[in-house]
Amino acid sequence: MRETRLMQLQYATALLALVLVGLHLLMQGVLVPYGVAVSFQQLLLTYRNWVDGSLLEILLIVVLAHGFNGARTILVEWKQGKRWTSLANWGCLALALISIAYGTRTVILAVFGSAS
Amino acid sequence: MEDAGEMKAKARAANKRGVMGWLNPIHYNLERWAYVFQRVTGVVILLYVLGHIGDTSFFVGGPLGTGPSQASWAFMSSIVENVVGHLILVLVATVVVFHGMNGIRLILSEYGLIFEKPSRIEYPYRAKGLRAIQRHMIWAAIILAIVAALWSGSILFG
Repeated sequence: MRETRLMQLQYATALLALVLVGLHLLMQGVLVPYGVAVSFQQLLLTYRNWVDGSLLEILLIVVLAHGFNGARTILVEWKQGKRWTSLANWGCLALALISIAYGTRTVILAVFGSAS
Repeated sequence: MEDAGEMKAKARAANKRGVMGWLNPIHYNLERWAYVFQRVTGVVILLYVLGHIGDTSFFVGGPLGTGPSQASWAFMSSIVENVVGHLILVLVATVVVFHGMNGIRLILSEYGLIFEKPSRIEYPYRAKGLRAIQRHMIWAAIILAIVAALWSGSILFG
């Protein structure tokens, strides 16, 4: 992907993340008291409500895409060179995908796994 | 005439400070500070998010879990729900608000919406491209970050 497209992706994910992180923070202590929000029962309800669960999954993808694209930008600014740029691009993409997969696994197990 | 190796070595020497170049605070103006903090807070937030993905996985029993586990979640809560954990959350709320608000300024300036028209450079060589609104937005980001710190502190410690 061209650098201009990647920066546009960075701005789009930034704006989306602003809304989603804002909502996430509001749910953790403002709209729902903090102690309640992090309780096991409330979290189970949150994950299994399809709107809240979906928002968490979208938040995960958006924040990691933004974060790793930002890290890639810093790495490419830090040092120049074909090999380094390629390493930064592919390394950040791989780490983003692994992190998204691990976070998604939590969401899937929270929704479909049997509680103990 | 220089060969490719010499040119490469010169280029490397010119960039020898690397990432330390933007961590050196001498002679920085407000915009440069905002630039540094945007990157530092970005890295801090990414590290927190990775840790947060790790700790929330204990809701389903950790890396080897198979479904929601009350015991596993209680174990993780006993590690993160304390004064140090809450101080980290206050710090994260603070840097997230600064990063987000300063990020809006950067997007607006990237699209040329809060830039002055370019003009002839004259003494005392102030950066004319940066309109007052940019400085106001940086201060707004700082003030909102402080408000976020106080608010999240009152929620977690109140």
